[in-house]
Order: sequence, then structure tokens, then C-alpha cells
Amino acid sequence: MRGIYTPVTKIRRQVFAEIAKLAYEHDDYASIDEIPYKIITGEVPTYRDSVFKERAIVGERLRLAIGLPLRKVDEHSVLSKGVREAAVDQNLIEEPLVNVIPFACNACDELSYFVTDNCRGCLAHPCTSVCPVKAVSIVDGKSHIDKEKCVKCGRCAEICPYNAIVKYVRPCAAACGVNAIESDHLGRAKINHDKCVSCGMCIVNCPFAAIADKSEIFQLIQAIKKGEKISAAIAPSFAGQLGPHATPERIKEAFHKLGFVDVVEVALGADIGAVEEAKHFAHSVPESQPFLGTSCCPSWAAMAKKNFPMLADYISDSFTPMVATARVIKERNPNSRVVFVGPCISKKLEAKREDLKQYVDFVITYEELMGMFVAKHIDFGDIDNEQPLQDASSDGRGYAIAGGVASAISESITALYPDTEFKVDRAEGLANCKKMLMLAKAGKRNGYLLEGMACPGGCIGGPGTLMQLNKAAASVKQYQENADLKKAVQNPYAVGEMDMYADPPSLEGRPEGPVQND
Amino acid sequence: MKKIIVEVCSCSKCVMMGSMDIISSIESLKKLKSQLRLHAQIEIVECKCIGPCRDRDCSPVVRINGKELTNATSEVVMSNIIALTAKDVK
Repeated sequence: MRGIYTPVTKIRRQVFAEIAKLAYEHDDYASIDEIPYKIITGEVPTYRDSVFKERAIVGERLRLAIGLPLRKVDEHSVLSKGVREAAVDQNLIEEPLVNVIPFACNACDELSYFVTDNCRGCLAHPCTSVCPVKAVSIVDGKSHIDKEKCVKCGRCAEICPYNAIVKYVRPCAAACGVNAIESDHLGRAKINHDKCVSCGMCIVNCPFAAIADKSEIFQLIQAIKKGEKISAAIAPSFAGQLGPHATPERIKEAFHKLGFVDVVEVALGADIGAVEEAKHFAHSVPESQPFLGTSCCPSWAAMAKKNFPMLADYISDSFTPMVATARVIKERNPNSRVVFVGPCISKKLEAKREDLKQYVDFVITYEELMGMFVAKHIDFGDIDNEQPLQDASSDGRGYAIAGGVASAISESITALYPDTEFKVDRAEGLANCKKMLMLAKAGKRNGYLLEGMACPGGCIGGPGTLMQLNKAAASVKQYQENADLKKAVQNPYAVGEMDMYADPPSLEGRPEGPVQND
Repeated sequence: MKKIIVEVCSCSKCVMMGSMDIISSIESLKKLKSQLRLHAQIEIVECKCIGPCRDRDCSPVVRINGKELTNATSEVVMSNIIALTAKDVK
């Protein structure tokens, strides 16, 4: 349900705004107990069967937004427990990142076929004839499926002339590309965290708002309040996300008002990564590896590692745009702390990685950021100090849209190694990414550059976005056009990185074995 | 042809509370022009903060030909616009 504003969206965003307000305006966090009554008002339930349950669910969401774990339903614990201890200036979230709030889950049936009112009890009733296990029969003049016998082959649904039989998949499970949604003893959704790659698609697709991720805004605001020097690394998909007045020129001033010292485009890191991966490709494909998978989407990379361990080495291990950008910021100013602002929740875990956590201190989404702007009463319409962002090329900014990563890398390969021949394939959504890797495993993607994106549409379709896909794409394209540089290879930072390889851009004299990063 | 001016508050709070989605639903009306007999020109203005949302929790705020709607939703805004055009037909 990306791109449609529903009560689910509303509550999620209200929670972020209230937590940001709590963090900015208070030092005594006991008042968190009042927030459920602010979000769920009155005595009559609006969304569920009871107003008490609505508030209890909001309470769990508030805890997750502070980065705390869910409370156990069968143990006494107050909402504010642990909140004061969580008021620290560094991120403290622990896995699991994505959580099902069990009592908010509607315990929808798992995959099943059922007969709707469309059934007219027709004379032909071909549904019974095609069923291989005699699960379909005519009961009281209507088609009836015996769930015990049904093997979910779908033949009855295909043959029905009235479209009366429907396939039904739980929305969370349908959205999950890695089959991580299982059931608990009460039939409620339960995430298998061994399979989950934290793409967040279940969060935005659950119609009962039962799934949420943990947030770092509470701790980020503590760091701001302490006066730390914090720079924002903002992902290229931000264009258009924060409303019509939030032009890229106004971003810096808006962040200053929030208490940040600087803003750097993550598209800069994308430029660096595009050139690095172009080099990696030209050096290693097909000699030391059959294909190269892009590195930038952490859920895609995690899915590849979990499901295709034998192919894992062929996914680029270049620094992702987030990390490359954070490194540039910290090189310029070692005392600076870095917040990645993006559409992605998977980045929250990437930033926690042992080898990367020195670069990125916090990760927040656009929705969470919007909560901070609302809490601080900052309006983009009031900003007249415009400072253009010119850290990156049009190529790097294109990383936000599906296909943009492959296109930036292809352009860089063509520019640096004009003789290299290669093909490109790409996939959006983890289920499709999986299919693409199946083909690669079968040897059908040799010599390819493979772009994987966990979110449909690419980063602009991420779980932390606010804008509809088509509008977001139009805004990003505009932002790309406004870039002074067109190609990643024109970015001095990206080309500067090339020195570490110290080789001429030709096909001869390529080093053997995969290129190592520093 | 009658002109309907729909001003949609685009302050941070209203954007967070879904004012951009209201704009999308107004735009979607144009696709239903023949079904709805929409004989009006709808002009959407993404304006700076309209005001009431500054002090009260009433986002999103929308103004249709000067009439202010607080806590606006897509369905309320669409039905208001259609009501205005219907009068015009008679």
C-alpha cells in the first residue's frame, strides 16, 4: 500500500512526530505515558474493537520508535520502562529490527483458496472436475472447498467462469520476497529472523499496522541536544519526499534549523561506488567471476548471501553509497558524526555492521525526519536561504530509481573501458531478485552486470518514503537534470578513488583475482 | 466553464499528514471526467501554510474556493469538489 495515505500511515507518522517532540522538548521522559492518549483520543474506538487495545498498540509503536524492544504481553511492564536509559547520544537498536506487534496482528489465514459470493452454483461447476484431490464439491448449491484436502494448486480458481474462487495470501507474506513470514501458536504472523533481510515490505503492506521497525530518532535528538557536530548524508531519493516546498536548495537551511552542521548528498558516494564497481567489473568479469552484482541495496546483498552462498562473492563488496559518503564526511571533519537520511530501513542494520559502524552513527528515514521537522515547527515554505547541493553527478542521483544503479555503472564502464563488452539485467522486489539469481546460478547471466533492488521501483519505493512512486520519480529526474556534472566519472571524488588501483584504463595488464577494496 | 481553486496546505505537518495524497486524489478526478460529468476546471495550488494547522492538530487543511476544510481526507475533498461541479450542471 505504498503511495496511499491510510490510517496506518497516519498513526505511524504521528508516533514519529510525538517521539521527536518528546526528545526535543522534555528532559523527563515519563510523559511518554500520555502520548497514546494524544494519538488515540476519546472513548470510542476508531480503528479496532477497543480503544484500550488501540492505545496499547500505539504504546508498543512508541517503544519501537525509541529503539526499545517490545514488551511481553503476559508480563507487567510500564510503557516508560527503559525510556530514560534510552536517552543516550548513540544508537542502541538491537536486532530484530522488524517486529510484529502480536496483539495488533489480525491472524489472517495463510495461503488459501476460497469461494466468494460470486459463485452462482452453475450447472457445469468445472471447479469440481479439475480438482485433483476431490477437495471441491457442491454444498447447498454452491461450490465448497474442503480446506483439509486442498493442496492449493489453484486449478479451481483458474477454471471458474465467474472468478468466484480467489487465491488469498496474507499481505505480509505476499510482500515478503524471502518467505520469512511464519505463524505463531495463535496463527499470528511471526518473522523468521534467520530468513528476514529487513527490507520492510511487510511493514508497509500490513493493513492492520501490526509490523513496525525500530527507530533511532530519539537518540539522534539527544546527540543534537548535546551539541554534537552532526552532518546529514541525504540519499538521492529525498527529492520531492518532503513536500513541494522542500526543494534541494532549501535542504541545508532546514537541516541547520534542526541542529545539524552540514548536509552532503549520498549521490556523491554513489558516484564513487559507480566508478569503483565499473573498475571491479572490468577487472574481474569474466576472468575471476562470472558476473557482478551491485552492492548498494543491503537487503538484496543480504538475500543473495543467505539464499545463494555460492554466489555471494560475486556481489560487489564496494562500500555502499551511504558508507562512501560517510567516509568523505569523516575525512573532511573527523569530529563529525554522520546521520544517513534515506528511504531505507535495511540501512539501519548495515550501519551497525562491525566493520562499518565507525562511519555511520545514525540512520533515519524520511518519515522519521518529517516527524522531526513537525516537532520543531520547521516549514520549508518559510526558508529563503537557498544553497544549492552540488556534491554529485546526475548518474549518482539516479541511484534512487530502479535501473539507475546499473545505468551509472554501465556509463562508467563505457567511459573508462570502451572495449569492455557486457550485458545488464536488473530486478526489483526480492522475489524477482531471487529469480534473477536462479538464472545466474544456472550460468545464464555470465558476463552480466546485475542490479538488485529490494523495493519495487527502487529506493523511491522504500518503506521510509512519503511520496507516491510516480511523483517521486519525476522529482528525482528533475534533481538529476539540475546536476552540474552529468557522469559519475566526472566527479573528482569518484575518480580520485581510482588512484588506489593505480592502473591504466585499458584491457591489458589487468590484475588477476578479484580487486580488493582498501 | 466554472473554475474551482483547491488550495492544499503544504506545510510540514500537512505534508506528513497526507496533503500530497489529497492532491493525487484530486488529480485522479480528472481521469473520471466523463463518468462524473465534471464541467469544471480544477486548479490545484500547493500553498504555504494556510494557518489553522499551526496551533491546532487539524492537518491536513484544504481550501476549496475559499471554504476551509480541516482534518481533510481524500474522500471529503473529492466529494466537496464534485458537489460544486454538480450545482453548475443544473
